[in-house]
Amino acid sequence: MPNPIIDALKNIYPLAVPEIALIALACLLYLAGTWRRDRDLWGTVALVALASVGVVLWYTVPTRPPTAAEVYAAPIILDRLALLTKVITLIGGAILVIFTWYDISDKLAAEFYGCMLLILAGIGLTAMSNDLIALFLSLELISIPTYVMLYIPRRDDLGREAATKYFLLSVFSSGILLFGFSYLYGIAGSTNLSAIMDALRSTQGVDLPVLVLVALVMVVAGLGFKITAVPFHFYAPDVYQGTTASMAALLAFLPKVAGFVALARVLGFVVPAGPAAIAFGPHLPKLLWIVAAVTMTLGNVLALLQTNLKRLLAYSSIAHAGYMLMGLTVAQSLEATNSNVPGGVEAIMFYLVAYGGMTIGAFAVFSYLSTPEREVEMEDDLAGLGVSHPGVALLMTLFLFSLIGVPLTAGFVGKMMLFFGALSGKGDSGVLFRWLAAIMAVNAAIGAWYYLRIIAKMYLHRPVKPLPKTKALPKLMTLWSCALVTLVFGIYPKPLVDLAARTTPRLASNQSVAKASPHTAINP
Amino acid sequence: MADYLWLIPCLPLLASIVIAFAGPRWLRGQSHWPCLLAVAAACFLSMLVAGEIISQEQGDATLKTYYSWVQSGKLDVGMTLRADALSAIMLVTVTFVGTLIAIYSAGYMHGDPGYPRFFACVALFIFCMTGLVMADNFVLLYAGWEGVGVCSYLLIGFWFQRPSAAAAARKAFLVNRIGDFGFMLGILLLWSQFGFRLDYQSVFDRADTLAGTSTLTAICLLLFCGAVGKSAQFPLHVWLADAMEGPSPVSALIHAATMVTAGVYMVARCMPLYQLAPDALLAVAGIGAFTAMLAALIALTQTDLKRVLAYSTMSQLGYMFLALGSAAHPTITYAAVLAAIFHLFTHAFFKALLFLAAGSVMHAMGDVIDMRRFSGLRRLLPTTHWTFLMGALALSGFPLWSGFWSKDEILGVALEASKKGVFPTYYMIFFMAGVITAALTAFYTFRAYFLTFWGEERIPPEAGEHAHESPPIMTVPLVILAVLAAGIGLVAQPLTGWFGDLLAKTPGLHEHPHHANIIVMLGSSLFAIAGIALAYWMYVKEPKTADELADSVPGLYDASRNKFYLDEAYYNGIVRPAHATSVVCRIFDLYILDGLIDLLAHGARWLGQLFRPIQNGLVQFYALAMVLGLGVFLISLVWALGG
Repeated sequence: MPNPIIDALKNIYPLAVPEIALIALACLLYLAGTWRRDRDLWGTVALVALASVGVVLWYTVPTRPPTAAEVYAAPIILDRLALLTKVITLIGGAILVIFTWYDISDKLAAEFYGCMLLILAGIGLTAMSNDLIALFLSLELISIPTYVMLYIPRRDDLGREAATKYFLLSVFSSGILLFGFSYLYGIAGSTNLSAIMDALRSTQGVDLPVLVLVALVMVVAGLGFKITAVPFHFYAPDVYQGTTASMAALLAFLPKVAGFVALARVLGFVVPAGPAAIAFGPHLPKLLWIVAAVTMTLGNVLALLQTNLKRLLAYSSIAHAGYMLMGLTVAQSLEATNSNVPGGVEAIMFYLVAYGGMTIGAFAVFSYLSTPEREVEMEDDLAGLGVSHPGVALLMTLFLFSLIGVPLTAGFVGKMMLFFGALSGKGDSGVLFRWLAAIMAVNAAIGAWYYLRIIAKMYLHRPVKPLPKTKALPKLMTLWSCALVTLVFGIYPKPLVDLAARTTPRLASNQSVAKASPHTAINP
Repeated sequence: MADYLWLIPCLPLLASIVIAFAGPRWLRGQSHWPCLLAVAAACFLSMLVAGEIISQEQGDATLKTYYSWVQSGKLDVGMTLRADALSAIMLVTVTFVGTLIAIYSAGYMHGDPGYPRFFACVALFIFCMTGLVMADNFVLLYAGWEGVGVCSYLLIGFWFQRPSAAAAARKAFLVNRIGDFGFMLGILLLWSQFGFRLDYQSVFDRADTLAGTSTLTAICLLLFCGAVGKSAQFPLHVWLADAMEGPSPVSALIHAATMVTAGVYMVARCMPLYQLAPDALLAVAGIGAFTAMLAALIALTQTDLKRVLAYSTMSQLGYMFLALGSAAHPTITYAAVLAAIFHLFTHAFFKALLFLAAGSVMHAMGDVIDMRRFSGLRRLLPTTHWTFLMGALALSGFPLWSGFWSKDEILGVALEASKKGVFPTYYMIFFMAGVITAALTAFYTFRAYFLTFWGEERIPPEAGEHAHESPPIMTVPLVILAVLAAGIGLVAQPLTGWFGDLLAKTPGLHEHPHHANIIVMLGSSLFAIAGIALAYWMYVKEPKTADELADSVPGLYDASRNKFYLDEAYYNGIVRPAHATSVVCRIFDLYILDGLIDLLAHGARWLGQLFRPIQNGLVQFYALAMVLGLGVFLISLVWALGG
């Protein structure tokens, strides 16, 4: 007689083929890198690997919803959220591979791209995690290669300081996260996410034990490091400033994707067993509300004072994390009222794409303009860019407009989704959500100030010291692909909005949305 | 017909885009080709449309909806193009005159640094204008309406380095905005009153429900506001004379033949509404008659050849509105629309001709256009002289020339309205004004003609040593237009009658037999000839009389020369108070609002300064802060749960 649990455990391997392939390829790169030192070769290998994994991914899409045994026993599960996350990170990863092309030496290229593949595998596994242990291991699979990557491209004092800081604080936050996980396990008696949510929900009506709240705070704090939520954001400005623009772009984007997806899983917004957002009770939105408000406000007001471009973008990345936290804040209420507004996790998924486009793009502008002799670091370095480099200035303006949230850019659509999500929050905390939307509006205005300041610098000021003309094709390609993402999803956001909307069970059952997809079977 | 309808506006648009992108770098001196080809093709297609409509038994509007442009709540705007007889006449006029002017411009603008820009704007203008006349709903009409306004702005200010050109462009745009505001209000009121529909058919079908109400009068008057601005009628006429700062082909195309007639077209198109609102019609006729006379009086004393023509344009547009406003009785509605549109049609040819000939004079005289500085040019510029004469005869309403036929239709209709209409006395006065204006027109037109081409030959120094006739690329369009200006009126209406037959196929316009009024014809011919004779006597026979006459009535002479001080009155009455208000607002903005904003900004910066020290770069402090943050969250949550 076949055992359903054994079958479920066996069935997970086909789902993880892309990640297994990525890890295998990374090992191959580490090995082969000792024989040949050629960044063009290994960069190409990495790109080909990502492309072929993308193709493989298409064939791993399951055709049936997971069985009960799989939901409650399998450590990983491939649902729409995981799929979309993988697609986003594969494309983002490919852009980052191109971006970093000239930033690393031939000597260490194989190691560097190997680490990149590992990170992408880690994010894929994080997105699929259905189990605390799997989740934690996947997150570590992201963190550890990141430490190495921070060392590789820039090895002066500032670079080392940045890598060390990141390493220490990241390990520290992993500890906090693990601590939180242990509490969850202690309460529910299982490491399976669906089982934990069921256990927590069974206490509904009864006061949640204090221990649940401790676990909750620990988990948010531990993952808050990855998404640069205040007060776990401290590393960001120092590390971004200390490393290369391309690594800063990577740090601003990939860990945020992993962090938000992991939060969506652990907090019960998207678990295979169905909606479980209420599992953590009414204190979860309040906690997230405070973190979101503080994060966006502090990020913006501190960004106001920056004249160092990378620090400015670091604070801006903190502020944007605050906006995205709004999505988590209202997700529970949207779930509870069965609202059809895509303003929760769906909006975050869209925003991550938009954010990736505009932030990687902005970093790519700095990187494109920098030469080994002269790095673009301060705002004044960009003065007069509109005259000396009109094309790049125009792209930079596009990215900044998107960061501000000007219509026809992806940033606008993302902000709008989050904003309307907050406005449509119902119930007792509806007023609170509206306040949060108001705080976001004020913050967006503050943000516009320092982004516009850069635009003014580029177009209205005379160059202090003219930048040299550079021609780095990979950086240009990065710029163009980011601009494409920013514009296409700004002008025609519908396909991505639909894709993002189907990541949560609440909106996946929406008939009009579901009809268009060939993979409707994934979500029951 | 429906298959190629979209090409008529889209070909010029495509040309405009091609010139805008490829012109400055690659096409340069050849930039006129895309414009010329596209407009000529549009002209050919327009003639096909007109031909198909003539061959139809029953005149029907061909509608073609391309897609739903805006669909939101109660607003439903389709990208629908309409081809019926009225549109077809407008299309043929616009594209035909446009083609000739594009050819002429290739010579006139030759060597100008903005050569590609000029043709890009002209092509864009043709796109907007054809869109305007082919629109099937008020929103598309408005879009085209604004589009031609923008093109007019761009082309008046074509030589934007000249402050006067930039100021004229701004003035034209702003004055037009005033009219457009009323137009917009009219459209909104109409939308709210006619079941939230905006397409012509639905609106006109429901017009009866509001017949005779003050709401309908308000709608008509508001719509007419837009026409007053666009067609330069009193009191918004002040922009047209200044618009002569633009290149002469632009004055010919936009400010004489086509754009300024958009108002006439619009009122004619909305005749199903207007004929139910006699009060509004009276206002239309009154403003038209008044403007016709006012502009003619101003034109008497102007010394700038192009300005004389500009005022004559206003005056002739006034005639067209007088005709439309005379549609006060169902039996004369058709005659009124016919008179207005027929005059629009003939006017387009002879006024474009006059402007192009004036441009040719300017070309030869080294951009001098002041008639006091040259004279006796008839031997130097023979072709220009003959063609100008043809245009002048047509404009004066000299018997058998095209203007004669159309102007008589208008006067006849006005007289008819004074017999049948609701307000006989008013229409009688308008009719008299029209007759007097006819004499004035003949006089000032030939004054300009005699001053320029007769008398002793004088050439200003700017013309250089060898002032010469314009090249064939400019004279050939002149000759073609001259032939049309002379003959088209006779051929199109009294001889063949095809113009009336075509117009009668416009849906909603019912043909009523009407007869030319022989008395009016004879009378107006007499007035026209008297005006010409007087001009001949004053400026050729006894050249001193003009000055003596001017000296004997100094007050009247100065009033006319200074355009009855209307510009000054507007400046002191409107512009200056507005300016004063803006100064007050600026002070408020600068010191009070900005102060508040600065205060907020400083608040944000201050907050930033407050938190800045905690970012001190020490990793142990960061870890501590993280733990502290964690602790605060934990304690507050536990406390909240407990409390």
